Amino acid sequence: MDEFQEILQDFLIESFELIEQLDQDLVTLETTPEDLELLNRIFRVAHTVKGASSFLNFDVLTHLTHHMEDVLNKARHGNLVINPDIMDVILESVDLMKGLLVTIRDTSADTGGEDVSGCVARLDACANGTNPSKAEAPVAAVEEIADVTPTTSTPNADGEVLRVEDEPDVDYSDYSDDDIEAEIERLLNNRQEEDKARRDAKIAAGEEVESFPEVEPEVATPAAEPAPVAVPEPVVAAPKAEATKPDAKKAAPAAVEQTIRVDVKRLDHLMNLIGELVLGKNRLIKINDDVEERYEGEEFLEELNQVVSIVSLVTTDLQIAVMKTRMLPIGKVFNKFPRMIRDLSRELNKKIDLQISGEETELDKSIVEEIGDPLVHIIRNSCDHGVESIDDRVATGKPETGVIGLKAYNEGNHIVIQITDDGKGLDTDMLKMKSIEKGIITEKEADSMSDKEAFGLIFRPGFSTAAQVTNVSGRGVGMDVVKTNIEKLNGIIDIDSEVGKGTSMKLKIPLTLAIIQALLVGVQEEYYAIPLASVLETVRISKDEIYTVESRSVMRLREEVLSLVHIGDIFEVERVFDASEHAYVVVLGLAETKIGLIVDSLVGQEEIVIKSLGEYLKGIEGIAGATIRGDGGVTLIVDVAALMHMAKTVKSTINSQVENKSSGGEKTQASDYKVMVVDDSKTDRTIIRKSLESTGITLVEAADGVDALNILKSGDHHFDAMLIDIEMPRMDGYTLASEINKYNKYKNLPLIAVTSRTGKADRMRGVESGMVEYITKPYSPEYLANVVKRNMNFKF
Amino acid sequence: MSDKLQNIINNQQQQNGVEHSDIDNIVQLVGFIVGDEEFSVPILSIQEIIKPIEWTRVPQTPTYVLGVFNLRGTVIPLIDLRQKFGLSAKNHTDETRFIVMRNDEETAGFVIDNLTEAIRLNKRDIGAAPDTIAEAESMIEGVGKQKDRIITILKVDKLLERDF
Repeated sequence: MDEFQEILQDFLIESFELIEQLDQDLVTLETTPEDLELLNRIFRVAHTVKGASSFLNFDVLTHLTHHMEDVLNKARHGNLVINPDIMDVILESVDLMKGLLVTIRDTSADTGGEDVSGCVARLDACANGTNPSKAEAPVAAVEEIADVTPTTSTPNADGEVLRVEDEPDVDYSDYSDDDIEAEIERLLNNRQEEDKARRDAKIAAGEEVESFPEVEPEVATPAAEPAPVAVPEPVVAAPKAEATKPDAKKAAPAAVEQTIRVDVKRLDHLMNLIGELVLGKNRLIKINDDVEERYEGEEFLEELNQVVSIVSLVTTDLQIAVMKTRMLPIGKVFNKFPRMIRDLSRELNKKIDLQISGEETELDKSIVEEIGDPLVHIIRNSCDHGVESIDDRVATGKPETGVIGLKAYNEGNHIVIQITDDGKGLDTDMLKMKSIEKGIITEKEADSMSDKEAFGLIFRPGFSTAAQVTNVSGRGVGMDVVKTNIEKLNGIIDIDSEVGKGTSMKLKIPLTLAIIQALLVGVQEEYYAIPLASVLETVRISKDEIYTVESRSVMRLREEVLSLVHIGDIFEVERVFDASEHAYVVVLGLAETKIGLIVDSLVGQEEIVIKSLGEYLKGIEGIAGATIRGDGGVTLIVDVAALMHMAKTVKSTINSQVENKSSGGEKTQASDYKVMVVDDSKTDRTIIRKSLESTGITLVEAADGVDALNILKSGDHHFDAMLIDIEMPRMDGYTLASEINKYNKYKNLPLIAVTSRTGKADRMRGVESGMVEYITKPYSPEYLANVVKRNMNFKF
Repeated sequence: MSDKLQNIINNQQQQNGVEHSDIDNIVQLVGFIVGDEEFSVPILSIQEIIKPIEWTRVPQTPTYVLGVFNLRGTVIPLIDLRQKFGLSAKNHTDETRFIVMRNDEETAGFVIDNLTEAIRLNKRDIGAAPDTIAEAESMIEGVGKQKDRIITILKVDKLLERDF
């Protein structure tokens, strides 16, 4: 049973690989129906699958592929011209074949999955429609029996000829002696089987000519019989199929790529080990730096230096090498699109040409697996909404055939996949209108939206610009999926569009996920690592450049308005130190959104290995994992997608300091204004209180400078002005004023001196220490009230 | 003389026999103090005991989760048992230790005030947890009685279970 499973696995892997190639070949075939080489290749795929499946007793699959083979065989011999209608049937049967293979993969049996009878009938119609002569039938029957031997050779009717060109393709150089023995025996067996089958066929042909479709079940039974002889066969067949495949692609039979299949788990393990090595290397470099500082000029340092640089160099090379083993060409994903475009253009009655370039660009296997779905959605969208109908295109003076471009290329540590179309483009006004209609955005939001932001609307869930929901798209799900998947890969989406000219969508995706470059940032005493893939740029701004729009902090970055969030608000960092006048903003981009993250300091760029936080701490919002730094400490890695989500709801404190400065909120009545009165004399305080009573301003009293400073620091009150006596015990008015001015947030707090000192020198000292007004005792109550009101913009 | 020797040998054999038969019934525990109480966990669930090292705070967690620390290349959560048991936080002293415990799927470090000793208890001397504590939520496996003292045995699975 295990052996069967093993064979089955090989069969499935091989079949899926063959079919992938098949789709592309078939579409090419439609444009060049007389390409014999191509036809032969396609025929061989159907044939190989049939042979193997009959050996494994998958009767339904065998039945289907057999009839496919018939049609293809006729085409190959020039008895049938492939036209679009026939191609439709062939493609349908290829789809069925895929379906069956999936069923086999999931259930190890091909029954109960797809119903092939309809398709088989159509295939027969194709085969017979152009060549109904009964004389052909016996040949087919003969082929059928002959093929029971599961080889990749061609049927015996022309087997002799084709065998010669098929078999030598196999590269025996990497076979062991035993394998060659087995191979020779197999070939001998094949020959015997074929002879036997031919004899049988001659006898069988007589009765079976009449009832062609019924041939199947009877043939399937003998299929099982040669099995014991052919048991070693599939094991040999797998490498053989591989060996011949590159030949078929390049049509140059010489260079054979030598490959081995490796379990992905082993590669993952290797990658993990490399990760550990990278951490070790980081640590070593850190220690080397420390040692260098301490023992400067000593001889052994140079040696140490050399070793460290060699280790670090080799580690980097090793890491790249292992990464490369996991790389697959993106062509693996691109391959399915020609077929998709063909089907879509027929369905939508449009003429669309797909131009693929850069399919040899490589990226990590895990990413290749994730990128397929988003691309399908984007291309469907381009076909359905982008490219116009033939009439529309002609009317606007464009060529009948629309062009969709699919291009991949490397850009630094990223791969960029660009999807372009020359269709009608995205109309921002229309996008906004639709979004308002569907309640996705408000009219106000729409007005303040830039073009780029408007393009981003197509990624909102529930959005669809199609007036009608078609079979192809318009359910408003697809593009949302694109966004989520790209975000998962830490990728960035960039849309450009011009009405009438077309749309271009760029997906920028990091090459690998396990070991990444990160930007280390500091907030208070903590450090966080941000994946560099998501960092667009960093800017240093002064606090004045932060504006508040609808209670959100924003800044102007060149032409754009960027919303801001403080990393401390996201990660609940206690703010002990006073922030300086300047802040660093890390501009993060993910999918199509951007946000500015305010941090206290930028530490630098480092290569980090992502480690999980374990079961106990998994799923912490905003944290993607942890990494170990050169000093042995743990640094958390920011999950940029989650952070952007959190930024929408998190309570911002960026501007609270700014608010403190001005007033601490809206003033709705006179008593919202607060003034501190600092004077050591109770009488003087009472006089001030009496003078200001009529205004209704709230007063807080302090007996001296120290007292005043404590009240201020406690943060219980937001003062709009302070009245300060100069001569006081413990701390005088001048000292108090200069102390207060040391705090950034009190820079704008008006300090008013109320004193009996009238000398010029005293006034000067007052100005130097930061007082804005100087009132001399005695004063009239109205004068005092007016000065206070003026200094705090009293509105009542 | 030979009788005496025989006696001694017999005695030894008896003792050995007793130990052999008892080995299945003996539970080895490691005792430690958190606050004013002595607790213990089975020695087999302890991976190692280390002196306090630096850790990194993890946001959005309860206060008793101090953060994560690096144990020879593995990132491990650190939990303060004082705060987990509802006591106030305390600065680490020379006696403070991290006990790294693990079960099948999870490993975590626990901060304790100080270690006491390794304890060998006969299974007979372990009683059930007091009835007043709801069975499912209880972190207490049982109560061990030894001469003049009582030792609370904790459920390691429960300690390692995320409850936020």
